[in-house]
Amino acid sequence: MVLYDSSALSAGSGGGSGNSSSSSSKHPQTDIDGLLAGAGYKVRSSELTQVAQRLERLDTAMVNSPADFTQLASDTVHYNPSDLASWVDSLLSEFTHTSALPADGPGFLIDPGVNQTVPNSSWNDQSAPQIRRNVCFEQNQNHQVTVVTAMEEDSGIRLVHLMMTCAESVQRGDLGMATSFIEDMQGLLMRVNTVCGIGKVAGHFIEALSRRIFQVVGHISGSSAYENEILYHHFYEACPYLKFAHFTANQAILEAFDGHDCVHVVDFNLMHGLQWPALIQALALRPGGPPFLRLTGIGPPSPDGRDCLREIGLRLAELARSVNVRFAFRGVAAARLEDVKPWMLEVSANEAVAVNSIMQLHRLLGSDSTRNSPIETVLGWIRELNPKIMTVVEQEANHNQPAFLDRFTEALYYYSTMFDSLEACPLQPAKALAEIYIQREICNVVSCEGPALVERHEPLAKWRTRLAGAGFRPLHLGSNAFKQASMLLTLFSAEGYCVEENEGCLTLGWHSRPLIAASAWQAAPDGASEVGLINGGGNINNNDAL
Amino acid sequence: MVVPLNTWVLISNFKVAYNLLRRPDGTFNRHLAEFLDRKVPANANLVDGVFSFDVIIDRSTSLLSRIYRPASAEEPQPHIIELEKPVTSEVVPVIIFFHGGSFAHSSANSAIYDMLCRRLVHFCKAVVVSVNYRRAPENRYPCAYDDGWTALTWVNSRKWLQSMDNKVHIYLAGDSSGGNIAHHVAMRAVESGIEVLGNILLNPMFGGQERTESERRLDGKYFVTIQDRDWYWRAFLPEGEDRNHPACNPFGPRGKSLKGIKFPKSLVVVAGLDLVQDWQLAYVEGLRNAGQEVRLLYQDQATIGFYLLPNNNHFHTVMDEISQFVSSNHE
Repeated sequence: MVLYDSSALSAGSGGGSGNSSSSSSKHPQTDIDGLLAGAGYKVRSSELTQVAQRLERLDTAMVNSPADFTQLASDTVHYNPSDLASWVDSLLSEFTHTSALPADGPGFLIDPGVNQTVPNSSWNDQSAPQIRRNVCFEQNQNHQVTVVTAMEEDSGIRLVHLMMTCAESVQRGDLGMATSFIEDMQGLLMRVNTVCGIGKVAGHFIEALSRRIFQVVGHISGSSAYENEILYHHFYEACPYLKFAHFTANQAILEAFDGHDCVHVVDFNLMHGLQWPALIQALALRPGGPPFLRLTGIGPPSPDGRDCLREIGLRLAELARSVNVRFAFRGVAAARLEDVKPWMLEVSANEAVAVNSIMQLHRLLGSDSTRNSPIETVLGWIRELNPKIMTVVEQEANHNQPAFLDRFTEALYYYSTMFDSLEACPLQPAKALAEIYIQREICNVVSCEGPALVERHEPLAKWRTRLAGAGFRPLHLGSNAFKQASMLLTLFSAEGYCVEENEGCLTLGWHSRPLIAASAWQAAPDGASEVGLINGGGNINNNDAL
Repeated sequence: MVVPLNTWVLISNFKVAYNLLRRPDGTFNRHLAEFLDRKVPANANLVDGVFSFDVIIDRSTSLLSRIYRPASAEEPQPHIIELEKPVTSEVVPVIIFFHGGSFAHSSANSAIYDMLCRRLVHFCKAVVVSVNYRRAPENRYPCAYDDGWTALTWVNSRKWLQSMDNKVHIYLAGDSSGGNIAHHVAMRAVESGIEVLGNILLNPMFGGQERTESERRLDGKYFVTIQDRDWYWRAFLPEGEDRNHPACNPFGPRGKSLKGIKFPKSLVVVAGLDLVQDWQLAYVEGLRNAGQEVRLLYQDQATIGFYLLPNNNHFHTVMDEISQFVSSNHE
């Protein structure tokens, strides 16, 4: 007979020696069990008994009706496994028969005899999974740096060490020292294989460091929008990051638009509109017929009299016509996202709106003390639009740190991993051009400051806090999207890419390092925007009851 | 007897989730498994005196390992962390760790195993190399052993892991299926002359065709059933094989005697509420009968997974024992 010992909780929550999990006293509002948090589960200490009881009931139910539970196992869509209480509850609600189960009560004792296999008895109806309201918790995020490369040569290691030391000199302001390191490194580069591996990415970082040191005001990242688009297109082809972003966002948008006849997608960065043909086709095939789709594409103004946005709009309209989707396009030309005003989008009251931001929000994070922070302004008007969904994809990296060395170190590891993933790509010239695309990002992160520094990537944990503080609540992406994304990867990419679930969001990474994170959001109801404790996070499923 | 509530919740959660993943036809819902598994990235910044990073040991099989290192004594707060900086102490134990999961579940970057490895570094002042071996049923015997072997040869050839005597001081460790892997990798090491200084087996996963008394007595009582054990062996062993295959039952009717072989000393931890304990005790007997050095730690009232959270006496007892086992006094 197993008895729960609640008094062991105090030993549990405090954490053992050498343990970095937080104890209950750090979060007076949310008494999360510290040890379970270390294991990746967020459960309130006060809820442990209840969760335990429900797990037991669930287990009993599963044992008692193996046939139904096999169906449960294959049909259920799961959301945010970190929120254990909700996960267990949603599984329990799949089983409607409760009469055969022991009632919850104080001093619940588990009789281990219950766990033994019993003859099959059948259960009848199954209710649809209910939408669970999740509680978000503020998460202490450690500064994270990872590297996934096999550093075989000594020279490779020396190079990395030199780069870090150089970056440290730069941070200290000792440019003389830094310059001599550049020379050392350039010498070392000649002895290292620069076609692949650490040598390749080192070359880009050394170049970026040089630019910073010698204040090269280059236009490497300020080149024409046209060039950027070409590079972006090849980055799209060569590796799955953008495809994953588009696919996951479209999936979420499609589900959010369920049941709506007038829908309006606002794309923060149209580029070649690569994301939208798939959505148009999916809407065409929707049971009950497609809605009327409006697409507003934001992009930089076109040079020399062309209207690139309109050209892309026309192509998309062609496609929509060919699959019988009523479609209207509008282009909004803006040099910067913060120059866009909501009235330019002409959102009408009867439409369901989806705001789609693929790697755009981080550009708004530059702080300029002379005016309102652009990110707050933009998030503010998005919230007022009250979109059905806002899809956000961002680089999963901590590149927006004030200290240069920290930023440099993070970037080195992040882009090493990304370059490593690109090694396997067989497509040329896509691979070479994709590398140039990434190289420009590296240059921006490493050699720019102030308003010129636009690649201000922040990790998921920070975005969660930011968006929660701006009055948004998460819409969780579930196991269905996860599975489809995983399967898509095996079709289109080399082995080594992996999709992971991160508390309702999905990340795509190379081996064990997440590199890009996709999440979905909605405006939280008013009065519920305190940071750290928002009620009402929902899940994305086919029943749009939110 | 008493199990701490949060441990109970953790292990029950695994039990329930794992039930969803095993299909009666022997296939495994890998997508859902990866979705549900709580993972953490490596962290090259010191957290409680430990940092970690991932290395690809073998590109052809995408074999990843996560390496955990303590901050060095001379530089407890380094400004720049050099991941492969040579170890500086006179003797540094390097523990090659194989995570558990009955050959099918978990990964080196699973949160529970990341935590466990960090604690091993802390208690043993060791470098820990956690191997992300290929799992069943997609990869049956001997893939996991092959990967363990690859990791062993890789570790053995890292100059930066050598102690002052220019040798890497290697220990093999694992829990559940990881303990089984540690045994078999040690067997290969013996055959090829790589020296392994010791084996640490935590609730190792062994079995056999017959049903033992402990299996019948404890079936379904503490999170584990005979039925699920059978499923995992069917998923790991070659098709058509039974549980007397030497991978599962190394000292059974098809096993090999270790008499006269220079096998590493072993520390075997058995939980008194683990239904496969009779097989684990038989393993210990097998080592003893062959004249091998083995220390058995029988934790009377412990369930499986007791070592995953540091909230019970068994955990601390076992950590102390492991740390003594790998310290140079005992070599």
